[in-house]
Amino acid sequence: MAQALAVETHGLSKRYSTGVMAVNDLTLLVKTGEVYGFLGPNGAGKTTTLRMLSGLLHPTSGTAIVAGAAPGSPASLARMGAMVETPAFYPYLSGRDNLRVVARYAGISSSRIDPVLKQVDLTDRERYKFRTYSTGMKQRLGVAAALLKDPDLLILDEPTSGLDPQGTVEMRTLIGDLRREGRTVLLSSHLLNEVELTCDRVGVIAKGKLVAEGTVDELRSRSGGRTLLIRATPLEQARRLLESLLKPDQVKVVDDAIVLSVDPSQAASINRRLVADGVDVSELRVAEQSLEAVFLELTETPRPEGPPS
Amino acid sequence: MIASLRAESVKTRKRWANWILFAILLAWIVLLSYLTFYLVVRLSPHSIQGPVPASVLKRRLFPENYVPTVLNAAESIGAAIMLIYGALSTASEYGWLTVQTILIQKPTRWAVLAGKLVGAGITAVVVSLALLGVTALASYVVVTIDSSSSSWPSWEVTLKAFGALVLQLAVWTSLGAFLGIAFRSAAAAIGGGLVYLFVVEALLGSLFRNTPVVKEILKFLPGVNGGAINASFPATFRDTTATALVGAGRGVVTLLLYLAIFTISSLLIFQQRDVGGS
Repeated sequence: MAQALAVETHGLSKRYSTGVMAVNDLTLLVKTGEVYGFLGPNGAGKTTTLRMLSGLLHPTSGTAIVAGAAPGSPASLARMGAMVETPAFYPYLSGRDNLRVVARYAGISSSRIDPVLKQVDLTDRERYKFRTYSTGMKQRLGVAAALLKDPDLLILDEPTSGLDPQGTVEMRTLIGDLRREGRTVLLSSHLLNEVELTCDRVGVIAKGKLVAEGTVDELRSRSGGRTLLIRATPLEQARRLLESLLKPDQVKVVDDAIVLSVDPSQAASINRRLVADGVDVSELRVAEQSLEAVFLELTETPRPEGPPS
Repeated sequence: MIASLRAESVKTRKRWANWILFAILLAWIVLLSYLTFYLVVRLSPHSIQGPVPASVLKRRLFPENYVPTVLNAAESIGAAIMLIYGALSTASEYGWLTVQTILIQKPTRWAVLAGKLVGAGITAVVVSLALLGVTALASYVVVTIDSSSSSWPSWEVTLKAFGALVLQLAVWTSLGAFLGIAFRSAAAAIGGGLVYLFVVEALLGSLFRNTPVVKEILKFLPGVNGGAINASFPATFRDTTATALVGAGRGVVTLLLYLAIFTISSLLIFQQRDVGGS
């Protein structure tokens, strides 16, 4: 049986009154219980999409079902928590009072406030006014507000934005906890490392269109997959030998290394041939195509030359 | 809507700007309408020019005249304060982006705004009660210090005055709230509202009141209609010699229409418009 979908969009588009086509014919399927990373450069249409899924923006065309109902409908909102763009709260209210206001809007008991404050580690600052909060604390309060309804689906827009390294790790841990609790998380980010470490599946959006979707490994393999990286002396002799063994377009010299687009299982035989030919091999390893490289390729962003990691 | 109303009560009560606004309104009445006026009449009666002697003028501060006094305040400073309050209550949500935080909770947009507008209406009722109470107390203090005698208006007049006060304050609040939603900026909403109030209604209304075309237009303006309602209450004498352009009954109907127009327009804009994005 097919896994149930927490978010489903078909042909979703948004054209602003300025004429800008922010999202173009987007079809997105987020499965229940997964952490889905919505990846794209700034201005790609991530926040616009999340705003449409939250009911803040009316789509120009297309359809969407979020948590089993139309975006922005009470049925959908009751089952989802969201933090879209910046965490926005009343500056003159304390963290606790802000959550009280949110709880009242959501029609839920204020007894939920203590657990969520504890969950985001804000209990000791709950009486401070929101305007005195640091960026990281504001971000955590935003997540606390999103968790208040004990939602099945969480939509988090750039959840680690502005967080220090420790806060980033804590946020990652929190997202992991949410997944273990069986919740679906749809998070947007332009930070590849974050997506790589937290997401089950990734959708890459560029210029308003979904250009790729899959697991991180699937995306890597789609873009050339793994390669062999060789550091050898003399470099030129090694390059000539490898070009005679393989096709010339499989051999690239990047900086002081040779990058081979071959099956990594050939590593041993290639090493033997190089040594037999009098080449000193100081390093030979499988190089992962970084998600960053895949991302830049998919979004057609020019990238600086450098060997794979 | 009840959920939204309950949330609004926390926000309104805990916002210092609201308390400061209402304190300014009450202080204005006590300090300017009563204290300053009483000191001038009492300590320097000869400085007052005009046909009405100071001894009669003083009666404006007595309980028999507290209803017209409070209604006059509602027409000017009360209108400005409530317009600012209304504008702040809606425009701040856009300024702080909290509009998106509240719209991703459970209630519909209609329920969110309806709760806010009903909350603002309740505030108008509370402010009206405070205005009547403070004005009555000030008039009682004055007549006691002056060792004079005066009678209180009947309960019927007081209740009508309360209704007139609530209606006018609610209209100005709803105009402020409407401008806040339309402009999505507190500065633009307050600026635009006050310019309308003090330039269009007050200044043009007094300078060109006798120009036939302007006179016809004035008959449809909320301030003029509020003034017509206020003029229908008994007073020993009035500051203005201008007669009301419309009757009190028409004034009530016109203000009710304005209240409906501002409320419905706010709801329609809020319901339809995108939140965020460009």
